[in-house]
Amino acid sequence: MVGTAVDVVKRGGRRQGEYFLREKLYASIIAACLSVRTPVGQAESIATAVCDSVDNWLEDKPEITSQDIRIITAKHLHTHHPDAAYMYEQYLITI
Amino acid sequence: MPISLPFCPVYAINKGEETKNKHMDTLTSLLVVGFAALIHASFQLSVSVLTMLSSHTIGAKRSHAKLMRLTLSFIAGTKIMTLLLVSFLVLVLLDIFGTQIPQLVWACACGLLVGVGVAVWLFYYRREKGTSLWVPRSFARHLNERSKVTKTAAESFSLGLTGVISELLFIIGPVVITALVLIGLPSIWQLVGLVIYTVISTLSSLIVWGLIGSGHSLSRIQKWRENNKQFLRFAGGGGLLILGFFVYVNEVVFHIVGGGM
Repeated sequence: MVGTAVDVVKRGGRRQGEYFLREKLYASIIAACLSVRTPVGQAESIATAVCDSVDNWLEDKPEITSQDIRIITAKHLHTHHPDAAYMYEQYLITI
Repeated sequence: MPISLPFCPVYAINKGEETKNKHMDTLTSLLVVGFAALIHASFQLSVSVLTMLSSHTIGAKRSHAKLMRLTLSFIAGTKIMTLLLVSFLVLVLLDIFGTQIPQLVWACACGLLVGVGVAVWLFYYRREKGTSLWVPRSFARHLNERSKVTKTAAESFSLGLTGVISELLFIIGPVVITALVLIGLPSIWQLVGLVIYTVISTLSSLIVWGLIGSGHSLSRIQKWRENNKQFLRFAGGGGLLILGFFVYVNEVVFHIVGGGM
């Protein structure tokens, strides 16, 4: 996987020198869409559209946190599929 | 001739003692066990893990049969661990106190119920969005990660076992009271009580399993849980207080009043 040259600071301030990975984001959006029983084709097109939006947002940012990515992704995903966005937001706050 | 069952959870059978509780008849005892199990069922950690497990399984494009198998294994794990937990406590308490539980122990158990009830009201859910519970974050992350990588029924079963242990802090009250009440029952009713507790305490997971199996959206289930979390907290905590008060009056106050006459 090739990542965009943006440093992602993980939760709790742990810096792992990780680039932003579009594939990772894409997979998590697909999983969120499928978990609310969205057809695979629709899930893939939503994931592509949301990843494009996040890529555009990232263009002028040298460093971001993983929380930033979650917030922006949820915001864009909400316009395409509110239920999937809800499940995406709930990932870390269910247990 | 008494039946010899060395590993029987309801140890009273071994001693051939048909014990009878002084103040609670069998029906009242079973109702107390059922009520304690309902309070147990209102606790949400197992349901949260079940929701995450289902979400990850559906998200990984696994078949519906696989989803059902994994979630059912998870519930089987929670049932077995609940059964073992109550049986273990019955054994320990029976070994320490015999069939006549001292009033001090009843009073301590009631104090525990009240303490846990207040703790549930104050701390059960974290003060943030979602349904995250007051369990250590590292532990919650571990459960989350495990639910993500669970692929086989055996892993799912062990996740169910772990889920019950994880909420021990909150379920200890109803489990202790159930164990104390079961000791006072005739041997056959002890088994009935054990089954009642195990079935009712996992009722919430079973309902969620049924909803997932019938094709309900996980987001709707999770939204319902989030919207009603204050009610569930109030019901769980209130139930513990009511149970504590009832058992205290039945086992401690009546005994003192009866002893004074």
